[in-house]
Amino acid sequence: MPLARALTDIRSPLAPRFARWATAVAVSLAVLAPRPVPALAADLEAGRRKAVACAACHGLDGNSTNPTVPSIAGQVGIYLHWQLLLYRDKRRVDPQMAPIAAALSESDMADLAAFFAAQRPAPPAAGPPDPARAETGQRLAATYHCDDCHGRDFAGREYAPRLRGLSREYLVAQMRGFKARTRGDLDGAMTQAAQPVADADIEPLADYIGSIK
Amino acid sequence: MRLSPFRYALALTVVVAFVLATGLVAAQQAPPSWKQGQPKEMESSTLSPIAQPPAPKAPGEIPVDKIKVPSGFKVELWASGINNARVMTWGDRGTLFVSSRVAGNVYAVTDKGGSREVKTIAKGLNLPNGVAFKDGTLYIAEIHRITKMEGIEGKLDSPPEMKVVYETLPKDAPHGWKYLAFGPDGKLYFNIGAPCNICIPPDTHANISRVNPDGTGFEYWAHGVRNSVGFDWHPVTKELYFTTHGRDWLGEDVPSDRLDVAPKKGLHFGYPYCHQGDIPDPQFHSGRACGEFAAPLIKTGPHVAGNGVEFYTGSMFPPEYRNRMFLAQRGSWNRSQKIGFRVMMVTLRQGDVPRYEPFAEGWLQGDQVWGRPVYTRQMKDGSLLISDDYAGAIYRVTYGR
Repeated sequence: MPLARALTDIRSPLAPRFARWATAVAVSLAVLAPRPVPALAADLEAGRRKAVACAACHGLDGNSTNPTVPSIAGQVGIYLHWQLLLYRDKRRVDPQMAPIAAALSESDMADLAAFFAAQRPAPPAAGPPDPARAETGQRLAATYHCDDCHGRDFAGREYAPRLRGLSREYLVAQMRGFKARTRGDLDGAMTQAAQPVADADIEPLADYIGSIK
Repeated sequence: MRLSPFRYALALTVVVAFVLATGLVAAQQAPPSWKQGQPKEMESSTLSPIAQPPAPKAPGEIPVDKIKVPSGFKVELWASGINNARVMTWGDRGTLFVSSRVAGNVYAVTDKGGSREVKTIAKGLNLPNGVAFKDGTLYIAEIHRITKMEGIEGKLDSPPEMKVVYETLPKDAPHGWKYLAFGPDGKLYFNIGAPCNICIPPDTHANISRVNPDGTGFEYWAHGVRNSVGFDWHPVTKELYFTTHGRDWLGEDVPSDRLDVAPKKGLHFGYPYCHQGDIPDPQFHSGRACGEFAAPLIKTGPHVAGNGVEFYTGSMFPPEYRNRMFLAQRGSWNRSQKIGFRVMMVTLRQGDVPRYEPFAEGWLQGDQVWGRPVYTRQMKDGSLLISDDYAGAIYRVTYGR
């Protein structure tokens, strides 16, 4: 078991100790650190240093090779920052991310988000689906107005995440979660948008969006 | 009458075509509500509403020093960690009740001398933006109902059940959240917004309404109001002043949001036929002339999103502040260059146009938003609280000393 996994996987005996340790470090840092000067801008270079801890799962530059772990290279920065807040507050539930997010300060989150947002996304691992299936996916994306928030090219926009090139497994799991109202959401917009999506439409949608280069 | 075979075929074709067409329309889902009314030529616009952060900002992340107020005034961070803080109302015994919108919570904030304690007294509610307090009872307005908690101030740790006051209300989510306040007549006033950006609303929508606190005597007070989520009554004339958010996707600089006065029941303020008193809606004007409707007292600016309205009645601020209005503007999204994100003040002047000028600004730095002022509430000592639903915080503005 890789170290990061051993520390964060709840099934690992080390995990509870890691979580306690991480919390203790976070608390003592908060107490010892001078009152931070409120900053509006994130520090990309600080983010690069802090991102080393994320590499085991997300890849050094945020391009994941594990289809269940999302690639976060080139992701919308504020989206990444706010997902970390959701993990910290246990509103987006994931046993691996929960203890990691709990140990981060808000400026850590902002720095990490800025770093990964600035990385170049690798081309999608999945080859293009057959033309008929791609066309179905494209039609469904229009029917459900996915591009209104995620952008015509699915590269994300303002607060909505980039979806193009994400793994099919990850996209399908998120969509099912939103539809089941179990995937943490900012303001309910995506949960609401997922409700009319037919179960049978989720996979073709993911095939299409995930394969956009 | 018998149809000839040709006419029969024609009629059949028309029916089949109609069924196919409606079937196709049904398969097409509705776009998100913020997109409704966007004309074809704006389809490539990248504007969309500013999303609500999932958590309040930590005190150290709130740059209070960026808030600029007139000389002699000071701003401090009074409370933080209040997710999505919106309307504030005082209890009899000094508890500040604070609502939220998308967070679904209602909070009780108590002053512990130098720091504030925040308790969540209700959660999981349906956009509970409206809170009002009278005679020991807290009233809460959600989209679909108004409820009350009796004797709440003595039971902050085990809040009493929410008893329904009034629930004959539309359930539409767009503009369904409410401002709620007691008028000088002892009635509860609230808005029922238009269920769309722009449409011919049902007769039951786009108004300010009132009901007795026991749930009887519902009536409409003002019509043609797209969505007003802030109002107050003049301390002397007792007339109702209210802000309204104008429609989206008509342009960068039009229409202006407005501040209005409704001194009597039954006035119509123009929506959806006419915007800002002088722009007929290009699609929904319905042949109505702008002159038919009550004109705005002030055009407060395009897309500024005016929320809180409050007349200042305290004595801490200089004497000229008495009976001035504070307007909290949450700020624009449907405009390339952001505008709003400030608290304005309005001075009404006999026989002259009102003076309209900034009081507090700085939540917008360049193109970056770090906070959104939504409502104000005067404290007993005459200082002014400002809530910020983006940072999840409350600021206090004092003068002198």
